Amino acid sequence: MSVIQTENLTKIFRVPQKDAGVRGAVKALFQPRYKDVTAVDGVTFSVEKGEVVGYIGLNGAGKSTTIKMLTGILVPSSGQVRVLGRDPHRERVANARQIGVVFGQRTQLWWDLALIESLNTIAKIYEMDPQRYDQLLEQFVDLLDLKDLLKVPVRNMSLGQKMRAELAATLIHEPEVVYLDEPTIGLDLIVKERMRAFIKQQNRETGTTVVLTTHDLGDIEELCQRVIIIDEGKLIYDGPLSAIKERFGKYRQITFEMARDLDGVDLPAGAEIVTQDGRSLVLRFDRTQTTASRVAAAVMEQFNVVDFSLAEPDLSMIVKQIYQGALHPEAV
Amino acid sequence: MIRYLVLYWTFFKQRIKVLMEYRVNFLIGASSTLFVQAASILSIWVVMRQVPTLNGWAMAEIWLVYGLLMLSKSINHMFADNLWTLGWDYVRTGNFDRLLVRPIDPLFHLLADRFCHDGIGHFVTGLILVVVSLVQLNVVVTPLKVIYMIITVVSGGAIFIALNLITGVSGFWVMDSTPVIRVVFEMHEFAKFPLSIYPKAISAVLTFLIPYGLASFYPASYVLGRDVPPTLALATPVVAALLVFISYRVWLFGLRHYSSTGS
Repeated sequence: MSVIQTENLTKIFRVPQKDAGVRGAVKALFQPRYKDVTAVDGVTFSVEKGEVVGYIGLNGAGKSTTIKMLTGILVPSSGQVRVLGRDPHRERVANARQIGVVFGQRTQLWWDLALIESLNTIAKIYEMDPQRYDQLLEQFVDLLDLKDLLKVPVRNMSLGQKMRAELAATLIHEPEVVYLDEPTIGLDLIVKERMRAFIKQQNRETGTTVVLTTHDLGDIEELCQRVIIIDEGKLIYDGPLSAIKERFGKYRQITFEMARDLDGVDLPAGAEIVTQDGRSLVLRFDRTQTTASRVAAAVMEQFNVVDFSLAEPDLSMIVKQIYQGALHPEAV
Repeated sequence: MIRYLVLYWTFFKQRIKVLMEYRVNFLIGASSTLFVQAASILSIWVVMRQVPTLNGWAMAEIWLVYGLLMLSKSINHMFADNLWTLGWDYVRTGNFDRLLVRPIDPLFHLLADRFCHDGIGHFVTGLILVVVSLVQLNVVVTPLKVIYMIITVVSGGAIFIALNLITGVSGFWVMDSTPVIRVVFEMHEFAKFPLSIYPKAISAVLTFLIPYGLASFYPASYVLGRDVPPTLALATPVVAALLVFISYRVWLFGLRHYSSTGS
């Protein structure tokens, strides 16, 4: 049985329309106009037990709205959603018992109290067996390096410490499904690594199903075998990560800054222009055909280069390209 | 039921710990209402010294009306103060999402999230007024009267909470629901005095529409043996139950329309 199932899941928001300025604001007060905005548009997918699925898309693509419908926070405008066989909104309390949710920058910890107080309270909310709780607490403290943080009030924690604490608070009641909405946003590499390792370990050992939204390709590569991509509310890709990596993983991107404006440029085979704007030039090249040094040398031979940088293609770029038809689900 | 009592106690302890983190704040909050109430009682005392009776009501009798209302209000203030903040502190910020993913009834969670110690001041004032009034008037306090007053005060508290809930649900749409709540809530100021001093229309509103009078004037009259329809004096728990039921339906309606924040 699938853990999560959605069918034609749709959410339409009624958004008030306002003209700019005070006049517009006052006018909207007396003559409100609304526009329907479809945030999620007929999305159908299912997630099996123990899967880790990356749910990705550009900002405003409808990721968070989908997560909110899966968690029972929002009621779908139309379509179906089932989590562990339940309607998460109608059977909210029963559903909430089985799930854990991390919302990026929002906390479920008591801001003014020591972490241990929050964890103890959460154990009571979920009616955990005290022995099991002690056992898990010990394990989590060890895995997430929380030993020195247990007595610290959340308000005194750094972002990285807070997110580790948050993760512990979300998983301590052993939820069957975990939703992580941008869990690594703003974190440094070491904390990211630690969080990924922890999620991976939980998934492997307890079979927890994980749905993850992120802008960080590293999160996806490290954790997910499968990705679902949405754009403007529509599902545009659902399949293995490997297919995406094969298509895009071989590319690297170089950004050059020139001393003066440039017109034409000759490139070695395997390299192509992504954008060219005044003095800045962004190139993409296929690692299997050429190397960064060869591309850089070719450009430097032709122009006076002030600065350049090399980057992995980021997820939003990939999503954009996929949306433009670079990878069709049928083609996989 | 037992689960929710245990949970309330758990949240209550969390709240006390938070309050103790800010000790000065706590002391100011708990005592400030006491001072505010003292000032408002003082002003009535000053007036009543000049006019011995208000439409046949002596000062000591007014204290009973005032005190009973204050006790009901204190229940609302202590246990349901968070309704005021639903709009700007929960819905606008998206914090309400957190309540919706916990295995607890969201309304209970909202109320239990913040026990408001400021209400203690109201409770103490109310209690003092009721006792002073009963002693001054030499009322024979039978156990039945005590039980009657306790039921009335609890029901009155429920009326306060239900009315605030009905208006507070607007927070799901308007973000800052405080003014909406205030319009109805402030009507309780009238109920601090015997309703018989007001024009018929106002007294009718406070009896049948926004029935704060059922928490003050009618029960006080009943205890003092004054001439009021017994149906109204005994109606408080029934009306409270009805209002609680209606307000919970309104709450569920608001909940279905909750649209969360952007991210």
